[in-house]
Parts: sequence; C-alpha cells; structure tokens
Amino acid sequence: MHEASLMKNLLSIVDRTARGEGVGPVRMIRLKIGEMAGVNADALQFAFEVMARETAAAEAVLEIEKVPLMIRCTTCGAELRPGGFVFICTACGSSEIEILTGREMEVDYILVGDDAAGAGGPAAQE
Amino acid sequence: MHEIRIGEDLRKKNEAIAEENRKLLAAHGIVTLNVMSAPGAGKTSLLIRTIPLLKERYTIGVIEGDIQTTTDAERIAALGVPAHQIETGGVCHLDAAMVHCALHQLDLDSIDFLFIENVGNLVCPAEFDLGENARVMLLSVSEGDDKPKKYPLMFRESRLLLLNKVDLLPYVSFDVAKARREAREINPKLDIIELSSTTGAGFELWVAWIDDFVAAARRR
Repeated sequence: MHEASLMKNLLSIVDRTARGEGVGPVRMIRLKIGEMAGVNADALQFAFEVMARETAAAEAVLEIEKVPLMIRCTTCGAELRPGGFVFICTACGSSEIEILTGREMEVDYILVGDDAAGAGGPAAQE
Repeated sequence: MHEIRIGEDLRKKNEAIAEENRKLLAAHGIVTLNVMSAPGAGKTSLLIRTIPLLKERYTIGVIEGDIQTTTDAERIAALGVPAHQIETGGVCHLDAAMVHCALHQLDLDSIDFLFIENVGNLVCPAEFDLGENARVMLLSVSEGDDKPKKYPLMFRESRLLLLNKVDLLPYVSFDVAKARREAREINPKLDIIELSSTTGAGFELWVAWIDDFVAAARRR
C-alpha cells in the first residue's frame, strides 16, 4: 500500500540528513501522523522494519506521534476538536473552517550519534 | 546522542511534482479532473457515458490508472479520444510522478480537457495531489451510505460527489439524505449530483457542472 512509498520518502529524508551532518548512526526517528492523514501507523512501522535495513536508519527506532485533528472557524475564530470529522463550527454554525492540525505526515526530528551517557535510548541495550 | 530537527512532510516530493504538472497543464490550457472512487463504483462507465456528451465542446484526453491491465484505456480509446494507461504494478494510487510521465505520452497541444481516472481505492488516492484542477469522487449506492463517515478524507478533498447507480436505489438500503448530510458535514462546500451511468439520469446536471467548472477555471 502507499505506506511503503511514504516510508521510502521518510528514509531518503533521514539518509540525506544523517549523511549531510556526518554524524554517527541514527538512533531514533520521530514521525508525526495526523488523525486525518490517510495513513496507518502499524503499516508504517511494518514498512519501516522491512525497508530500513540497508539505510542510515537501520538501527533506529521509529516513534510515531499521533496528532489530533484541530480546526478553526474563520468566521468566529473558535478553535475546536471536532468529533466524527464534522467540519461545522459548534459555536456559530459556520462552515468556513480551516484545519490547524491533523493532516501531518511529518518527520519531526531524529536522534543521532553514540549514546555517551549510556542511559535510556536504544544504544543502551547494545 | 543529539537531536536534529527536520520538520519535513513525507508528501513534499509528490507535491513538488504535482505543482510542475499543474503548471504544465495550465501552460497548455488544459483543465483536469481527477476522478476517484472505490473499485467498481463505475468510474470508467461514467467516462464512457460522459465523453460523447462533451466531445463537441472539448478535445478530451484520458489518463487511466489501474494496478494491472490496459482494458480501461482500450474502452476509452474506442470512443476516439487519446487514452494513456498507467499500470501501477501493485501501487494502490496514482502519484504525481506517474502522471508526469503519462503527460509526456499525450499530445498536450491537441487537448484542452483531461480526465485522470485514479486507481479504485477510497483511502490512498486522497493523499496524492496529481496537479489536477479539482477532484471528483464517485460513490455508488450499492456501496452503502456509511462511506462518508468511514472515509472522511476522500470526501473532504473532493469538489464534487457523484452518487452513482441511483437506478439501483429501489433494491438497496441506501439513505440518500443521510449520505448527503454526512458528506456535507465533512465538506460543507461539496457539490453533490445523483446520477446513473446505466440510464443516463442526472447526466445533464453533471455535464452542466463540468461546463461551469471549465469556464471558471479558464477565467482564472
């Protein structure tokens, strides 16, 4: 499914960043996935396990942060967390709505290098 | 260990290519609709019934997306319009790069209206901008009236919803009012037309919608 093509993009972003910085192995990748992104977190994890092997992220852990859907009514300015994907303002009834969060599919940050402190993190278990 | 902030969207690469497609299409004066639905909702049959009604006013091209087979492009080509088939080879949606390649296979100077028929799927195609002017989705009444709630992104991203196969309404338990209401909760600006590619019901509304849409796109 399309989780594989998105994972390919993720790995190329991580590869490019890690190689560009010339830093040690990638330890962790933090990915933000919005509640209304058409993507499945489990399928992304599976794609990651299969596809990361020969990349700079081979030893990394993928952490997926789920971002709730938040909308803003551009008529009255109310910010809401809609239930059931209803895009109508519960404060004023307007349908002039913009999406603030919830559509993300974003590589937030990566952790790289050796875990010198030895506390926590995937390197500690090696 | 240290942190490197990235903040890059996984769809960025696709969106950049989609923007190139959009510019290429605009440079050739081509208005494009991306037609999406679940498998079997009737995308190809819709185009086969629609194209003859538009042929006098527009020079039409079609890009067909399927996981496998070229039968859809052959059905369209039989109408005398250029059709290019993309076989995605297992991929569940069209992406902008696939469409970019297909655009180079069509004579863009000789068309002014393009249908892109996406791979049958109610989830993935909604995430991939192809460079179209608008997205049109089909929901056939035999699929059930619960689909807006179950697949909200597709409804949110579409400009027009075609409720297809309305000739089957006497035989299926599909609540048209409920489907309309729930689709509009997700996308209050969604246009909705009920039609049947079998009987031709509703096609005058669909063709008028296309004419209005093309006129507005050309004014821009």
